[in-house]
Amino acid sequence: MQEWLKRFLPFISLLILCILIPACEYFVLGHDPKFITAGNLAAIARQTAVITIMAMGMTMVIVAGGIDLSVGSIVGLTAVVGSMSMVAGGGAVLPGIAIAIIIGALCGLLNGTAVTRLRIPAFIVTLGAMGIYRGIGLYVSDGNAVVGLPQSAGFLAEQNILRVIPLPLVLVLILAVVVHFALRHMRLGRYCYAIGSNIEAARYAGINVNRYQIAYYTILGALSGLAGAIETSRTVTGQPNAGETYELNVIASVVIGGGSLSGGQGTVVGTIIGSLIMGVLANGGNLLQISPFIQKIVIGAVIVLAVTFDEYQRRRLDNAEG
Amino acid sequence: MVENRPALEMRGIGKAFAGNQVLSQVNLNANSGEVLALIGENGAGKSTLMKILAGVHAPDTGEILIDGEVCRFEKPADALAAGIAMIYQELSLAPHLTVAENIFLGREPRAPRLLGLIPSIDQRRLIEQAQKLLDEYGFRLNPRTRLGRLSAADRQLVEITRAIVEAKRVIVMDEPTSSLTSNEVEELFRIIRDLKARGLAIIYISHRIEELEAIADRMTILRDGVAVYNGRWGEINTDDLIRHMAGRELKEIFPPRHAEKGAVRLRVRDLSRPPVFDRISFEARAGEVVGIAGLAGAGRTEVVEAIFGAQPPTSGEIELNGQRIGSASPTSSVRAGLGLLTEDRKRTGLCLNLPLSANITLANVGVLLRHGRLQAKSELKATRRFISKLNIRPPFPAIPVGRMSGGNQQKSLLARWLHAESKVFLMDEPTRGVDVAARSEIYREINDLAESGAAIVMVSSDLPELLGMADRILIMRRGQLVAELPAHKTTQEEILKYAAVEES
Repeated sequence: MQEWLKRFLPFISLLILCILIPACEYFVLGHDPKFITAGNLAAIARQTAVITIMAMGMTMVIVAGGIDLSVGSIVGLTAVVGSMSMVAGGGAVLPGIAIAIIIGALCGLLNGTAVTRLRIPAFIVTLGAMGIYRGIGLYVSDGNAVVGLPQSAGFLAEQNILRVIPLPLVLVLILAVVVHFALRHMRLGRYCYAIGSNIEAARYAGINVNRYQIAYYTILGALSGLAGAIETSRTVTGQPNAGETYELNVIASVVIGGGSLSGGQGTVVGTIIGSLIMGVLANGGNLLQISPFIQKIVIGAVIVLAVTFDEYQRRRLDNAEG
Repeated sequence: MVENRPALEMRGIGKAFAGNQVLSQVNLNANSGEVLALIGENGAGKSTLMKILAGVHAPDTGEILIDGEVCRFEKPADALAAGIAMIYQELSLAPHLTVAENIFLGREPRAPRLLGLIPSIDQRRLIEQAQKLLDEYGFRLNPRTRLGRLSAADRQLVEITRAIVEAKRVIVMDEPTSSLTSNEVEELFRIIRDLKARGLAIIYISHRIEELEAIADRMTILRDGVAVYNGRWGEINTDDLIRHMAGRELKEIFPPRHAEKGAVRLRVRDLSRPPVFDRISFEARAGEVVGIAGLAGAGRTEVVEAIFGAQPPTSGEIELNGQRIGSASPTSSVRAGLGLLTEDRKRTGLCLNLPLSANITLANVGVLLRHGRLQAKSELKATRRFISKLNIRPPFPAIPVGRMSGGNQQKSLLARWLHAESKVFLMDEPTRGVDVAARSEIYREINDLAESGAAIVMVSSDLPELLGMADRILIMRRGQLVAELPAHKTTQEEILKYAAVEES
């Protein structure tokens, strides 16, 4: 019963929100619900896509018992470097996107290497990296937005597939399938859960723990680079401040979706639902004309509740061990 | 001598974890001014019973009476308030605090409040009182030393001192001598006699019959969660005592083995990591079980971990099937066919919240892959095979191993190395915390392995186990191999003679 609840709690919460918000619109504000229009749903998808893409990488890192606070800064750095290379390349968009992803992956590789080699807690290493990457982005752009990008740079954020489906949503779906498959059905994922569940046991089972941890951080870095490219595309500029505070939303998505900060637990589906819950809360708050300040309070409370529930569950399990 | 009356009564105590009955209807009486020996095999329920007494676990049934009054312990502080103190096997001290601070943790002498508001500790009195206690017990420790800088034995002394300060009615000592020298053990016994004279009830848990001989007044024997014997010490002889503990004769527990000895599988030459272990050389042949005996702290675990590459040695050579294994790491060792059944299955063995199946297949995920995809069917098939081969209970591949009993957890870990098709098994305390039934299944599997040509190196503190299972017994003392004895010709006494630390 408890297990069942834990598994489906995020999904049930999302469902309740999706019923509650249009109901409030209809009964309280007295107009036809805008929440369930195609336009609004597409907007939610667009707004949450960047966070969701990063959160899938973060799921791997958190399941493996790590954390990465520098992902928001990687978005800023890759937005700047990606758009600079688009400008320098005379308007070639795709190489710019590729460069953003590669730079992101390198940042992740660096994070993973530092965490495993320096034997310093990931929280501290990536807290430092957060400042370093943001600083590099600001330095190379001199603190100014990179402008003069070709108009076609907007396709990544604005393009629709089959006229109605936003391209970012398609990216999210493809990546979700890939990351879910990797976590559930590949060695990479199996080791991820094992390392997060008990890193010493994983090492004693002959797993090359460092190599796999570095891989998870690198994948997260690459996805953050992709997020940087999407942010660039959205504004058709390279903003050095892009992605600020994203790390918090990304981590919150994983945690609300059932990921455990002590490792060993978390799923792609849960994370997507976690990200959607936050997106829907923000969107519904706007539709219901709730102050954005109140929204912040609510989202903060949701995070604390999610972690409390997770801890409570674990203690029950620990007590059962004897 | 203070008059004898039950200071502590535990009546009809029962406890189950996740459907596993660990204790049932256990009665235990500890009298003022007496030492009660609590005896039982690993996994008999001694620790659980004492954790109930300490308020760590709540019993499902039964009650606890202190001086005839029923007490309910909901948290450890309740038990402490009732005058019950524990000396735990695993040390429970704060390494960053000083000796004095550790002794008085939570009951520091108060100084006048700063500005009449902020509570503060009277450091001088703290040191003085600690010094007085240490002098009184004859422990040569400086109360200002930070605990982390002390040896395991000295830390044990601090732990004992602290418990004595806390204890008002009952003091529980769980294997208190495991890291003490014989001089210190003598000192401890003197303190115990002193505590008896002061009217405390002492519950003393130990595997060492000789020790109990010296101080026990009465005994309670636990087997499989049931108190099978209550009586005065000396009423029954040692053979009967062991029979009560094990519930059967020794030869029934250890099945016979018919293994042909073959080529050398593992050869270790001059393996060193001073000062932990030094120039360790031995070999193990196919079909052979080599036992390693020694006291706690002799370096046995460190040697097998070094062979496995978990804690690399500073020098020495390791050959597996005639091939030197180079840059040692668990990854390369596992690939070369080594498997380590670790001493601490919760810390270095199992992923407790992962399913049984994932734990069994973890060291050999490769065989389950096809085009990079884990084949769920192959995994299930392999898991089922080991569940039935080792009689793992409950037989559900998807159950998190953390929910299983110690014996079944150990069998799952053994299954991991069977699945990895290891050729050389390093087994560190393979039956610690394992019930009797699971033990004999593990022994049977060890015999099967030997008969199929594997080499087994078995570290154990359980001497009957070594005598019953090993072909040869190597004895370690202070990081060195000091003797090698054929198992069928030696005795517990002879092994202990070599293993015991000589006094300088």
